Amino acid sequence: MTAQIELTNVNKYYGAYHALKDIELSIRKGSFTALVGPSGCGKSTLLRSLAGLENISSGTLKIAGEVMNAVPPRKRDVAMVFQSYALYPHMTVEENLTYSLRIKGVAKAERKKAANEVAAVTGLTHLLGRYPRELSGGQRQRVAMSRAIIRHPKAFLFDEPLSNLDAALRVHMRKEIRALHDRLGATSVYVTHDQVEAMTMADHVVIMRDGVIEQQGSPLELYDRPANKFVAGFIGSPAMNFLPAIGGQDGRSIILDLGLKQTIALGRTVQPGQALSIGLRPEHIELAAPGEGILSAPVALVESTGATCFLTMATTPELSVVFNGRSVARAGDRAGLNFVPGSMHLFDAETERRLPG
Amino acid sequence: MSNVSRDRLLLAVAIILAGIYLFPLYWMYITTIKSGSEMFATPPTFWPTDPQWQIFGNVWQSRNMGRYIWNSLAIACGAVCVITVLGVGCAYVLARYRNIWVDIGLFLILMLQVLPASLMVTPIFVGFSQIGLLNYPRLAVILAIAAKSMPFFVVLVRATFMSVPQELEEAALVDGNSRVGAFFNIVLPLARNGILVSAILIFMQAFGEFVYSKSMIQAVELQPASVGLNSFMGPNTNEWNNIMAYAAIYVTPILAIFVLLQRRIVSGLTSGALK
Ligand SMILES: Nc1ncnc2c1ncn2[C@@H]1O[C@H](COP(=O)(O)OP(=O)(O)O)[C@@H](O)[C@H]1O
Ligand SMILES: [Mg+2]
Repeated sequence: MTAQIELTNVNKYYGAYHALKDIELSIRKGSFTALVGPSGCGKSTLLRSLAGLENISSGTLKIAGEVMNAVPPRKRDVAMVFQSYALYPHMTVEENLTYSLRIKGVAKAERKKAANEVAAVTGLTHLLGRYPRELSGGQRQRVAMSRAIIRHPKAFLFDEPLSNLDAALRVHMRKEIRALHDRLGATSVYVTHDQVEAMTMADHVVIMRDGVIEQQGSPLELYDRPANKFVAGFIGSPAMNFLPAIGGQDGRSIILDLGLKQTIALGRTVQPGQALSIGLRPEHIELAAPGEGILSAPVALVESTGATCFLTMATTPELSVVFNGRSVARAGDRAGLNFVPGSMHLFDAETERRLPG
Repeated sequence: MSNVSRDRLLLAVAIILAGIYLFPLYWMYITTIKSGSEMFATPPTFWPTDPQWQIFGNVWQSRNMGRYIWNSLAIACGAVCVITVLGVGCAYVLARYRNIWVDIGLFLILMLQVLPASLMVTPIFVGFSQIGLLNYPRLAVILAIAAKSMPFFVVLVRATFMSVPQELEEAALVDGNSRVGAFFNIVLPLARNGILVSAILIFMQAFGEFVYSKSMIQAVELQPASVGLNSFMGPNTNEWNNIMAYAAIYVTPILAIFVLLQRRIVSGLTSGALK
């Protein structure tokens, strides 16, 4: 598959502030790529650089094989959906949709036809004559999407398009955007700070922190083999537990430090005495009868949604445990815990990188 | 004190204050249509017994007011055009670029605003006469007014531009427009109200301008109505009704504009602040 968007060694400075650091990114044609990371990590900056709204300071940016470093936005043929939707308030929905076509010089009848076609897809047909101020948040979102779709651009760029919607509508629009993407065979780059959105919608997830790409890959790759503690903690909800430990003297075990020391055998080798951080996802810890299991600890808190149960164990640091169904243990009880075999992630405590192997 | 009675009291105070402010205006109109003897009657009458409506036509004719008003209009329109064309661009730049130089520029602009016309008129007069601009006295006055009122306009219109989200412009750029195109297609229509209101305020200022016109326009046939009114009032004047008629003819159009557009003017001035 060919790369639709290619960034090599891209850097971006705002004055002295280094906003993007050595970005290497290749976005496959037809893929749905999510840029995800905490607020202020440079996601919008990267997206705006793709659109041409920011100029990159160094490196190369290619769209559909052409170098676009200094090309103005209007010649890049990408469409962008803004967080605020940025609908033109003095134009009707139809005029908003067809604005780009009007600039291109498309004839009026043809513009109308295109607007009707897109509106039929996105369910805006009855709203074409309205002004943006007369629409609900969800409808505005649809107009913003439609305005991008009508252009058949080389790539769709989304900057947190769902963050102004309520939770239920957000889940709904998530599916709708992904369905539209598949239907159009488009190439999409989607910025979000919500890892659930990124994991559920994207084929390729790019995790950023402080202007650096920490890791990229398919959602399950990131979940199964996080490259460092940051990625491990960012992906998954509730967040991964991190437990301090040191490598055992035999080189095939670790000594967990949860208030009291606990030796656990490993199916792999570690350096004796090495300071480690053990990552364990809450869903990979199983409850056992008291006195059984790898370790035993008092339960601090039980929270249940009916279908799912969230336990917090009174260890230092606290351990969270998640499982489906109801909990027999109650706050104050002691419970035994087992770790799902092979579910332990080993990180160097110093560098926070995943241990090889 | 209950809410109702407090509201009534405030309303009464407001009416009294408005009355005090509006009394001179009322007195102007009422004196205009009084006869010569009624004008000096003691105690003064508050409603003329024998309104002299023909006085408007007489004054218009005898003082050749058509020419004066025409000159005022020409000067005001000229000043509004110069200020709008130059000021809109200036305000846009000041609204979109934030850095230390823009702040310094804004400070200088505001400083210009506090200098009074009577202080500025001498250096402007000398400068204009040296480059020969005084041979085109109305143009000279237009330029002087433009220099004087530009800061006011720029500050108002800048606020309007700042209320137009930058993302709209960016959306237009991504949609395929150029910066200039995005400005004319998106920003300008959205800032139209604010610009219109500011232009009307400038027009009203320029229409009544006196200091520059008085000192730079010697030829009577080029003088605006404000200077004409001034020369009407000699040291021994007693034809107050005629003078008041002149003033009434002069200000009524401005008042009418203001009353007709006051909704828009007020909303235009606050549109940046709200929302
Ligand atoms: N125009 C700008 N000038 C200076 N700094 C900026 C500018 N835009 C963004 N930044 C900084 O760059 C960093 C990344 O911003 P952004 O890409 O918007 O983050 P996010 O990941 O939340 O979208 C932030 O620290 C922000 O303060
Ligand atoms: Mg952002």
